Amino acid sequence: MFNNLFGRFFKYGGILLFLFLESICFYLVIRFNEKQNGIYIASVNKLSAFFDQAYDRWTNLLQLPELLDSLAGENAKIRESLANEAVQKRVKIDSVFNKKTSDRYQFIEAKVINNSINKQRNYIVLDRGRRQGIQPHSAVINKDGVVGIVRSVSDSYAVVMSLLHRQTRISASIRNKGYFGSLLWDGVDVRRFDLEDIPRHAAVMVGDSVQTSGYSAIFPEGIPIGTVEKVSHEPGSNSHSIKVLLNYDLSNLNYVYVIINMDKEEQKKLEREVQDE
Amino acid sequence: MSSIFFTNAVRFFILVAFQGLVLRNIGAEWESFPFVNIIIYPLFIFLLPFNTPRPLEIILGFLLGLSIDAFYNSMGVHASATVFLAFMRPMVLGMLEPRAGYNVNWSPTWRRMGTVWFVKYICLMLPLHLFFYFAVEAFTPVYFLLILKKTFFSFILSVVVIFMVHLIIKPID
Repeated sequence: MFNNLFGRFFKYGGILLFLFLESICFYLVIRFNEKQNGIYIASVNKLSAFFDQAYDRWTNLLQLPELLDSLAGENAKIRESLANEAVQKRVKIDSVFNKKTSDRYQFIEAKVINNSINKQRNYIVLDRGRRQGIQPHSAVINKDGVVGIVRSVSDSYAVVMSLLHRQTRISASIRNKGYFGSLLWDGVDVRRFDLEDIPRHAAVMVGDSVQTSGYSAIFPEGIPIGTVEKVSHEPGSNSHSIKVLLNYDLSNLNYVYVIINMDKEEQKKLEREVQDE
Repeated sequence: MSSIFFTNAVRFFILVAFQGLVLRNIGAEWESFPFVNIIIYPLFIFLLPFNTPRPLEIILGFLLGLSIDAFYNSMGVHASATVFLAFMRPMVLGMLEPRAGYNVNWSPTWRRMGTVWFVKYICLMLPLHLFFYFAVEAFTPVYFLLILKKTFFSFILSVVVIFMVHLIIKPID
């Protein structure tokens, strides 16, 4: 046992002693030689700066999802205040209103957790639901334009009828021209839509921008949809048949905003009263 | 046994004194041509007896280096090179081992091992020491080419001096 230990020391002792004395030497070199000391300190600084940077980058990377969430929330707030501002501007300045009742839209940010584009009836699932204040028949947009309409909500999830759903109809208008019609999906191409009911006498040009009209009590006015790609006429029809090219890609959704119109019930009730007459 | 110990002790002091008092000054002021470095003190490690225990070799290398550093006022720079050299010596000896093996009572001297073997031995050992020494002296890989140049020129000068010394003193052990 002892012999074994002794023999082992002789076998590896050389290397251990070498490493031990060599580290003493390098300590002495760094401690007592000005030039080597300077190089050593500079190198250590460089190395630690490198590690600090790498660590920083790594922790930043880990915080990225939270950062994205908080940014999406912030965006929702900004869009909300922009939309409400637009509503307020239309109210006369001398009329008295308090801030609370004048806020018409509430924006809620949500993350897309499921999406499909390859069926005739496509749905999107969001990770926000009733508990976060989402109601059925709310508008869903993303940073580029219209995404769909909330179909049903559970406590913490919401199912959205995508624009790519044969039954989704959105009231759309030609920007700066005022004519409006309904936007439907043709069921073939994920970027091409039909805009119906634009009267024949309207001067619609290829390249005109198409946006939401704001008439449906679901979408605020002016959310972009796409551009006019082709204008043709069915024989005997009184309206244009317009092809609209979507400006963005519905197959690549990440964060979306759900728009709650808080005056919707009021508007609908009022409209019903007139129809009942 | 005691005579070998005595011989090596004397060799240690003479080499340290010669290196530290005489050879250190040669070329020291030639700032524009920093390639004149005559370094022969590793001869002490070259000529240690074959049967020196390895830990003792390394410790002796450390002491030799520190003594030289005291003259050069470069704490640890020479010592790191000599410790490295003492660590590498058994491997170099293993590379050069004749078919019959070494006589463990001898030392690897010119007269014991013959000219060819001794020249090979010096040409392997001395560059190891010089390269390590100049590398630690520069302490940065930036001047790698300069380190190689210094090693080369210093090797030529030092080899000449080592053989000149051998023409005067011809040690057997």
